[in-house]
Amino acid sequence: MKTGAMKLGPWEGGTRARNVAGAVGAAGLALTLLGGMLGDPRRALYAYLVAFVYWLGIAVGALILLGALHASSAKWPVVLRRFLEAVPASLPAFVVLFLPLLAGMRHVFSWADLGSLEGELRHLVEHKRPYLNVTFFAVRAAIYFAVWIGVSHLLRAWSLRQDEVGGFDLTRRQRRLGAGSLPLLALTMSFAAFDWMMSLDPRFFSTIFGVYWFAGSFLGAFCLTAVAAAATRDDPAQFGAHMNLEHFHSLGKFMLAFVAFWGYIAFSQFMLIWIANVPEEVPWYIVRTSGGWRWVGVFLAVFHFVVPFFLLLSRPRKRDPRRLARTAVWLLLVHWLDLYWLVMPVLSEGGPSPLPWDLTAFVGVGGIAAAFTLWRMHGIAPVPLRDPYLADSMRYLPP
Amino acid sequence: MTSWVLGEFVEEEPLLEAARTLRAKGVTGLDLHSPYPLHGAEEALGLRRSTVPLVALVAGVGGAVSGYLLQWWTVGIDWPLNVGNRPPHSPPAFIPVTFELGILFASLAIFLGLLFAYFEFPRVHHPVFEVEAFRSASIDGLWISAAVGRTEADGVAAELRRLGARSVSIVPGEGAP
Repeated sequence: MKTGAMKLGPWEGGTRARNVAGAVGAAGLALTLLGGMLGDPRRALYAYLVAFVYWLGIAVGALILLGALHASSAKWPVVLRRFLEAVPASLPAFVVLFLPLLAGMRHVFSWADLGSLEGELRHLVEHKRPYLNVTFFAVRAAIYFAVWIGVSHLLRAWSLRQDEVGGFDLTRRQRRLGAGSLPLLALTMSFAAFDWMMSLDPRFFSTIFGVYWFAGSFLGAFCLTAVAAAATRDDPAQFGAHMNLEHFHSLGKFMLAFVAFWGYIAFSQFMLIWIANVPEEVPWYIVRTSGGWRWVGVFLAVFHFVVPFFLLLSRPRKRDPRRLARTAVWLLLVHWLDLYWLVMPVLSEGGPSPLPWDLTAFVGVGGIAAAFTLWRMHGIAPVPLRDPYLADSMRYLPP
Repeated sequence: MTSWVLGEFVEEEPLLEAARTLRAKGVTGLDLHSPYPLHGAEEALGLRRSTVPLVALVAGVGGAVSGYLLQWWTVGIDWPLNVGNRPPHSPPAFIPVTFELGILFASLAIFLGLLFAYFEFPRVHHPVFEVEAFRSASIDGLWISAAVGRTEADGVAAELRRLGARSVSIVPGEGAP
């Protein structure tokens, strides 16, 4: 692995993986569409919504991580930064993937179809009309995507240009934009969570809801990086081979921190609403803690927080890429269940009723996003070749 | 009684080499002192992982368990309180105190454990500070220290001179040899 950074060229691999991911994704989406046409379109759209916010959340989480690392002038992650630039490069694909939700809005969001509501709920939705209306919803979505795609495009473009011209000026620019964009990214992600998940139940409101989605997605971004790094450890043409055990150890520490952060946010939201017992808020949790959903909630508390927390306390596990990647895969799976538990009870009170469309939508959106990302990674160096801190990063040894 | 043998080096590599050599000869109680982090020091000293994380884990889990039991017994069993018509034993309401007591016990165990067990309070400074020249360890000096039996001190001192120490001192321990 002592090949030296200067011999690294553009990555020419990944075509096979891209084709497979694209085919699987297209098949998944086609099957989900078929499920929507044959069965309940509303149910298929909800399965699609869970998959959409899952993959999009990880892409935006990776973008926020990239901005945060620039903001802190971090040197150690330079070797894995190209991957964090590549994951948000999938965001334009999500604009297209958002269209089915926009088209099927009336099936997904009860507030979009005022005629279907009655009584007090109708009165409440009318009151919220200035915010919850179809036009403003679409405009907001456009703003979110514009911010995310704009920031991710600039950060990536400057990093790629540095591969050719070198120098410190482009590093300084990335740091300024990375730091400056954080408030915008935080607000857009938070409001996207309000729009796309919290408004499914127009009565419910929780200011921390966006942070909840962010916590799981940010953790997902670390997990995806750890999995990708562990999977590419033997291929010198990719970034994983240039990471040492200290990088994996640091990724593991971040995973531990954000498992704890997710647990803290999830419990804070639950405890405050449970203890206040206010009629507008508490039904949301009553649905999610009764019937079959109760056991999903308990499962999440144990297997999204307690067990991963104690697993990740172990230093040998964090320093073993394979074991760390296994933990990361597990966390990526339970993160999907977490979003399923947030979204699906709106449709099936009483307990989960899994359908094949949950799986096809998951691999459909994921496959398309992965194929798009691999396409954008093709022909690009796997590490920022002329970043002034690349050498520092490659001999990273924490004090 | 224990004596401390101190050797001052100018370069990093001879210092690390001296630590390796002394360790290979079976000298225990070795330590290195430098004004900046020395990469390779842990390996040269053959340090095992610190026991502090284990102390923190055990104390933290113990604190969390005792915090929960305290609330369960006092509020749930011994003197049931009706708060907002919730059951006396309401786990979500107990979690914050459980968490806080876990943190409190872990941090107190680290603080008191370091103070009394690791730093041997009421000893207020380590005997190596008896040597006036040792203050260079926080300026520009690289030091090795060995805690050895009083009878071995001269031998270790001679060995340090042979390994290239610029100056060697012995701090005699207190009490009978």
